[in-house]
Amino acid sequence: MPTFTETAKATKKKKEIKLVGIDMYIITDKGIPKFDDIGPFKCEFISNRGTKVWPGFVSPDLLQVNWYRCRFMATKDVQDADVNTFLDALTKKGWWWSAAQKLWNYDGEAGFSKAY
Amino acid sequence: MGKQHVVTMLPGEGTGPEICEAVRLVIDASGVDIKWEYEDIGLDCLEKYGTLLPDKTIQNIAKNKVALKGPTTTPIGTGHKSANVTLRKVFDLYANVRPAKLIPVLKRPWDKIDIINFRENTEDCYAAIEHMVSDEVAQCLKVITWPGSYRIADFAFKWAKANGRKKIFCVHKANIMKMTDGLFLDAFREVAKKYPDIESGDIIVDNCCMQLVRNPAQFDCLVLPNLYGDILTDLCAGLVGGLGFAPGANVGDGCAIFEAVHGSAPKYAGMKKVNPSAVLVSGIMMLRWLNEEAAAARIEKAMFAVLDERKHVTYDVGGTAKTDEYAQAIVDKMHAKA
Repeated sequence: MPTFTETAKATKKKKEIKLVGIDMYIITDKGIPKFDDIGPFKCEFISNRGTKVWPGFVSPDLLQVNWYRCRFMATKDVQDADVNTFLDALTKKGWWWSAAQKLWNYDGEAGFSKAY
Repeated sequence: MGKQHVVTMLPGEGTGPEICEAVRLVIDASGVDIKWEYEDIGLDCLEKYGTLLPDKTIQNIAKNKVALKGPTTTPIGTGHKSANVTLRKVFDLYANVRPAKLIPVLKRPWDKIDIINFRENTEDCYAAIEHMVSDEVAQCLKVITWPGSYRIADFAFKWAKANGRKKIFCVHKANIMKMTDGLFLDAFREVAKKYPDIESGDIIVDNCCMQLVRNPAQFDCLVLPNLYGDILTDLCAGLVGGLGFAPGANVGDGCAIFEAVHGSAPKYAGMKKVNPSAVLVSGIMMLRWLNEEAAAARIEKAMFAVLDERKHVTYDVGGTAKTDEYAQAIVDKMHAKA
């Protein structure tokens, strides 16, 4: 008789995983960062405390802290090695970052939330 | 009449428009001078504007800085962003103020409940930062910041002081989430030093839930991070009789939106059956925000009197009155007392 844990593990389904971008968590006191394209990655939006601050309207009342989530989406097919190159390039440009989160599609569906 | 106020009215959808008309009838009869500017929000906007919250509505609220909102519904399982959450984000409405006060006509097992909840409205697990970090693991970032925590505590203490409240407790789980809830609690304690006349303390969220259902009278004001606030504000509404009488306000530094927290009950739309009290008491909160205490008190007194008589109340409190008949009864009561 399998345990509940064994049964649960057995239900895992194989999914096709495709790298499509990177969420970069940038620390800066200089306001909303601006980026040129970095290799095959293009900045799509920037949020602060979960609220989109670029592109588009930003309330002057909005509280912003010094930690920005910057979503870079791939403009062509990319591999993990492209992320390493991207991180090196970003660091060389002087950006200080706390974390990077690879963004994957699972069976063609985004495995990451959109920004408000 | 005193100063004229310009207020954005957001009737919403479902039963929202008939509720808001009833509420407007009562507020307009209270002696306050309000110019209402109607704007669209909610499901009915999808076909017309392709969004639940049109830019025109945002611009009007930005101009007037105060709005009264009827109920709206967020479609489940579609890509549309919630109008409520978007409003909070766009206007940085960081303070969700949710009073829970016993209404005499609703028989409850407690003698006294008079709690004001101050829920942080923009951070925590609601920052919309979620990832499938592998094909079998999902994560949601809980984001707590010092300035976000400090300002909700400061807002709560200031509100408490202005309204003669005596005690504020910070609700948290800092014994487990030492960084995030710890930061929230640290900011609360720092703010508390500025208000020595108000008793302050803290309570772990699970204990707070138990204490609320055992002895709610011990609580005065609570300050909560977003997720605990989401849950405990509904718990408190349940203690006093449900969401049908629960007011709410979402307040930022530059704007305030007052709204009921219940759904739009689309199956009752057009039947004039539902109780408009939650939006009405939210309107009373709005009047107090606008420094129209006399009008607010007048409506409150008349509403309680109508509820107490039970002659013209809606089905949910044992009556047969329509939405607008209940509102008219409150208007008649105000005029009778005048």
